[in-house]
Amino acid sequence: MLHLSLPYLTIALASLLGGVLASWKSARPRRTAVAAALLAFISFLAAAHEADGRSLHDPLLPCFLADGLNAVPMAFYAALTLIVLVLAPRRDAAAQAPAGMLLISLSIQVAYAAAGWVPMVLGWWLSCLPFALGMFGDQRETRLTSGIRLASCLALTAAVLSATFFAEYGTLSVLFVTLAVVLRKGLFPLHAGVVQAFECGPLLPKALLFNGHLGVVLVARTQVASLSESAHHAFEFLSLAAVATVGIASLRAFAESKPRRLLAFLCISQASFMLAGITTANAEGITGALTHWLVVAAASTGLICIVRALEVRVSSTEDPLMHLGLAAKAPRLATFFLICGLALVGLPGTLGYCAEELIFHGMLQNHLIAGIVLLVATVFNAINLLRLYNTLFLGVLPKHVINIPDALPRERWPLTACILFLVLGGLMPRVVIGWRSDAADSIEKAVHAVSGH
Amino acid sequence: MPLKTLIPLLIATPGALFLALSFLWLLGGGVTERVMARITKVTYLFLLLLVIMIGWRMKAEGLHSVRVMLGDWFTVGHYGYPLPLLIDRLSLPLVGMTVVLAGIVGSFSIRYLHRDPGFYRFFLLLHLFTFGALLIFIAESLDLLIVGWETVAITSVLLVGFFQYRPEPVRNALWVFASYRVADLFLLLAIFLAHHWFDTTSWTGMLSGEWPSCQSQLHGTQGTIVAALLVIAAGGKSSQGPFCGWLPRAMEGPTPSSAVFYGAISIHAGAYLLLRIEPLIHQSWGSRSLVIIIGLATAFLGTLVHRTSADAKTSLAYAAQTQIGLIFAEIGFGWTTFALIHLVSHAMLRTLQFLRTPSMLRDYHRVHSAAGGKLSPTGSQYESLLPSSVQLWLYRLALGRGFYDAIVERWIVAPVQAVARWLAIFEPTAPAKKKL
Repeated sequence: MLHLSLPYLTIALASLLGGVLASWKSARPRRTAVAAALLAFISFLAAAHEADGRSLHDPLLPCFLADGLNAVPMAFYAALTLIVLVLAPRRDAAAQAPAGMLLISLSIQVAYAAAGWVPMVLGWWLSCLPFALGMFGDQRETRLTSGIRLASCLALTAAVLSATFFAEYGTLSVLFVTLAVVLRKGLFPLHAGVVQAFECGPLLPKALLFNGHLGVVLVARTQVASLSESAHHAFEFLSLAAVATVGIASLRAFAESKPRRLLAFLCISQASFMLAGITTANAEGITGALTHWLVVAAASTGLICIVRALEVRVSSTEDPLMHLGLAAKAPRLATFFLICGLALVGLPGTLGYCAEELIFHGMLQNHLIAGIVLLVATVFNAINLLRLYNTLFLGVLPKHVINIPDALPRERWPLTACILFLVLGGLMPRVVIGWRSDAADSIEKAVHAVSGH
Repeated sequence: MPLKTLIPLLIATPGALFLALSFLWLLGGGVTERVMARITKVTYLFLLLLVIMIGWRMKAEGLHSVRVMLGDWFTVGHYGYPLPLLIDRLSLPLVGMTVVLAGIVGSFSIRYLHRDPGFYRFFLLLHLFTFGALLIFIAESLDLLIVGWETVAITSVLLVGFFQYRPEPVRNALWVFASYRVADLFLLLAIFLAHHWFDTTSWTGMLSGEWPSCQSQLHGTQGTIVAALLVIAAGGKSSQGPFCGWLPRAMEGPTPSSAVFYGAISIHAGAYLLLRIEPLIHQSWGSRSLVIIIGLATAFLGTLVHRTSADAKTSLAYAAQTQIGLIFAEIGFGWTTFALIHLVSHAMLRTLQFLRTPSMLRDYHRVHSAAGGKLSPTGSQYESLLPSSVQLWLYRLALGRGFYDAIVERWIVAPVQAVARWLAIFEPTAPAKKKL
């Protein structure tokens, strides 16, 4: 067993935990949380740099590791946490909210860094805690949302227990894993939980939770663990379910006019691309999915943060009959929104295009019709993105919006970082694809070893 | 400087300028109108110089075509995304036309948009458009062509919605974008099917020999399907056939953008694609007939609507649509050189007409007054030779613009929205939300 030269993962996870405790009752919770998130980011970055595709365990907590699959996402997710904490409007970064966001980040990072099933289950359960403790004030989520998340945790726990105590019934464990993924990812017809989470709950913590993509992590880990032939069939089912979700969410969005719900359908559809890609069992599809993971995380975080920033500026964005015309007052926010959105739906020149190109190729090799569904969904998503942009930014400015600020400096720099990643990553995709190629290779080999070709 | 440097430099210049100016602005900076005007003029002069050098070097070295391989954009396993460029007897005139007309429109816009709040935005989009258009004409594969294709599309849509404080341009921009995306779907399908069946999307893989005497290498039903998909995609870009409704809506943008997009360059990108794949079209009567029927039908409808349009820009849009319909038909009949000449001359003329539009009516009224209100009406119309009942029927058809919008609303938009609403049965209603 190889180890990291320093306990980077322990430092990172401890700093997140320390940040949660310190900012819980702090007079300046945002500052404390940002400092903790920054330290975690630096530690995860160091771990990713040292791991460089190898599998290295933490010397203090060997139940955590950094490898090709999780090293980059851990550093990336730590950066996203930092961005969300900095970008959060004042009212969303007050009281226990920063501690709640750090707790979500901690739970996701525990699940990412898990070297076994137990820490992963712990991470999944931890992610329910901030909402159960009511850390986001009166912004409560609906019963459906919390119920689906709880059910996904129960399904994963059942999968681990059945794999431990009823190893002879391997199919049972696979069934529970599949159920956990379907629930966590919000695959059709269980997508309503994610839509309600976007519509009713606190938006920024939901952005962090959504962009953990723990369902994809679970599938990838299960694939590398190379379970059985039944797992192979389960992944084929998941692939088709993901393609159906991509298509249906993109179509369903046409009937939506509320910005938050429209954004939810866009994010569900694009995030399901990942699952469709990772279950193609070929190098193109898997690499595309792992790259798309980073694209969706960066782009959707940008979009969600901008929508939230607009909400606190104009009090409500929910009148479906009018265009808000905010580009006149906030042209930079409009531009950031457009670029993030276009990267999310795969505009050429952005990293989203390269990722989707690979997923299409991977999917067309396996299922021609499924590949065509993905293409059609991309078209629908792009149209829905422009509908959302038009609703928020174009048209006549309402009379009550007299003077709102454009992107503030603390909003401008993190959003520029997102845009730089998406655009420069699109111009030089080899770098980002290179980060993900080791993990893609190992998943492909493991899947082929099971399927026997 | 060798050709292998000049050609990438030609594409990279407007792209790099766009990126630099964009990031400067996003971070809170910017340049004044005067500086932007100078940057634009110098850039287009530089691009023109590059085109002249490329043309001169090709002539001096007796080259009919130059291919530049920039390596792979990215590779995964056995799959690579190559970056090949091509300048030949088809692309060189179009590249020259793009640089000249975009430069003229840029120069015109400096005064036209003086002190307009969207001045900076317009020039950013003009540089991005130039990058996209040059990429379309220089790309040596469909994989790379679509990058330019979609860049031009998004630029076009943002300029249609340029006057963002009015509801009509916003609505029309969405319509144009939806039309483009649906048409792009056919291009994407063609690309992926070409990869799937023939393992190539490069011009050298699909066609052998040099334009205009090249031969198709994609045979059989699968080749015909790819050709038909490309024809439909080209129709979408050039507002032909089932996509003929977006062009008049695109006239909401500022006049210089209408000139450069819908009079000069963007609208001809579809015709360029057809010229490029002409051998592929000619190997099957199905795809050849499709091009001719689409072209002639659109030309017929376009000329009718053009005659009944009340405003100058819409009238010009339909006139442009008519001419491009004829160019499509010429390509279908195999008159490629004639079609290329028609395309370039039409682009030049139409740009002049679009740029002249804002001052034309004022001049007309002045001349009318100077002549004492006795200007003679225009000459007789050919349709007056038809029976009066047919004239009336055609007049109704033209006034309703072929009833295109009503057909699309009823048979495409409404069913899609009905299905989308029906899918809501899987979602329980969320409880009423507190104000956040």
